Amino acid sequence: MQQYLTPLIKKAILYPFISCFLCLVHTVQASEWSIKGFGSLSIVGTDTNAIGFYRDRSQTKSVTNAWGIAPDSRFGLQLDVNFNETLQMTTQWIARNHAGDFFEQNLELAFMRWHASNSLNIRAGRMGTDVFLASDYRNISYAYPWMRPPHEFYGTIPVYHYDGIDLIKRYAIYNGYLTAKIFAGFSSNQLISNPGNKLFDFNAPIVGGNLTYEHRYWRTKLSYVFVHPVTDTPGFDAGSKILNNTLVNLALPGINKLTPYLTTKNTNMHFISLGGAYDNGVWLAQAEAAYLHSDSPLFPAQTSAYLSIGRRFDTITLYTLLGIAHSFANYIDVPEARLPNPEFQQIHELVDTFINQNGINEQSISLGVRWDVYTNIAIKAQWSHFWIGKNGAQLWQKFGTTPTPNKVNVWSFGFDFIF
Amino acid sequence: MKNFILGCFLFCLASQAIAEIAVITNVQNNQVPLTRLQVQDIFMGRMRAFPNGQFATTYDQTTLRDDFYQQLTQRPIAQINAYWARLMFSGQTSPPIKLTDDQSVIKAIQENIGAIGYINKKNASHQAIRILFILK
Repeated sequence: MQQYLTPLIKKAILYPFISCFLCLVHTVQASEWSIKGFGSLSIVGTDTNAIGFYRDRSQTKSVTNAWGIAPDSRFGLQLDVNFNETLQMTTQWIARNHAGDFFEQNLELAFMRWHASNSLNIRAGRMGTDVFLASDYRNISYAYPWMRPPHEFYGTIPVYHYDGIDLIKRYAIYNGYLTAKIFAGFSSNQLISNPGNKLFDFNAPIVGGNLTYEHRYWRTKLSYVFVHPVTDTPGFDAGSKILNNTLVNLALPGINKLTPYLTTKNTNMHFISLGGAYDNGVWLAQAEAAYLHSDSPLFPAQTSAYLSIGRRFDTITLYTLLGIAHSFANYIDVPEARLPNPEFQQIHELVDTFINQNGINEQSISLGVRWDVYTNIAIKAQWSHFWIGKNGAQLWQKFGTTPTPNKVNVWSFGFDFIF
Repeated sequence: MKNFILGCFLFCLASQAIAEIAVITNVQNNQVPLTRLQVQDIFMGRMRAFPNGQFATTYDQTTLRDDFYQQLTQRPIAQINAYWARLMFSGQTSPPIKLTDDQSVIKAIQENIGAIGYINKKNASHQAIRILFILK
């Protein structure tokens, strides 16, 4: 069923959008469209080769003490077309390190926007996943002071886009603006499993809403998002067969009962977050806290938060960033092998790793500097020190059964621009 | 005395460098003058319409852009660019349309009843435009 669902969603939403766009763009005059872009060229390295550092599981390449450019480097182009005062189209494509189909997965935005009234917008097509304060502009490094959004917080949401519809209504309240947004759609992202490092489709209906209030220097956001994965994790069918094999159950009694734990399919994930940002032109601060409720042991319930404070000195911004993430993973007993057969012992270890090694236990402190060398160019440097607890490296790329270090330093240098 | 003359000269230069900027709209738009906060809301993408309900099409111009936003928001243009990068590349809203100078802004204003832009105040007289706010 599922293998038919994703193409159906693409046919139902993306293809009509592209057809509609091609028809409309034919009628557009030259003065009504624009191409803009953004990019980052960054190099990142750590002081370990035991685990790899990346932004999240959407990426295939991580960095270790062999430095690399994959986590933060990207180049994006955006085409905006104004058909008239109320109808607009936006398409954005980003060259970056992302798992899966290079063209389709990097098509970040492709939507039509209708200004139904002066305070109501309706968008349909592919849009950025709007979960936290900076979720839908994570790729635009020029727009924030850090090298990348806080790892503990944004590493937990590797889903960057969804295909669907949203409604945005704005209200003027007390010299500020309250924006209410509701959205619904289907996420068809390709991710990398951890552990295992295998490509898989993460397809899920996604619905949510948020309230954002902006007043002078302040911006606050309360958000809720529900995700219901409808695809299996990689290797589920093969793993399920092994766990339900009669001989395996004789050697590992009751292991078949763990079959549902091998997949996130048909589980429920609820993201709730509250965040605020302050920027008076000199001082800037931002903090968020989130709780994820999940009924899948592969993606255990977790809480995360961060606080960032910065100070501008003319074109130089100095900042610090504190982050914390902790999951509430309950240890699930995996039956021990009754027979001294290495194959059964290996099955025990694989299942134990798969369902009991998904924890996040991470804290970090970062110090960084941003230098606005020109009005659309910034140079950045950041040092981050991570403390990783036992069974807490789920936001890092794991290499086999290599023991996880409990401290890691990450250095980053970057060059951001917009045009 | 030499220092006094030099001081006067520098003062005159500074006075000329920081031009008074007029925020203008189409003469047929019956919008009464705006407050500084309303001008900020329109040019920072928070308000899509004039208080009279007329849909607003905003125009920037490269010649005065840095001075305009510095005077309007007390922020350097790099911060304004970072602000717009967030809104623009997340697909929330589009920034003002960029034109080159006063003449191109006046032409666009005269062609669209909902247009709003800014020009050097000294070029605002004897034009078929409505002044909504003077940035000093």
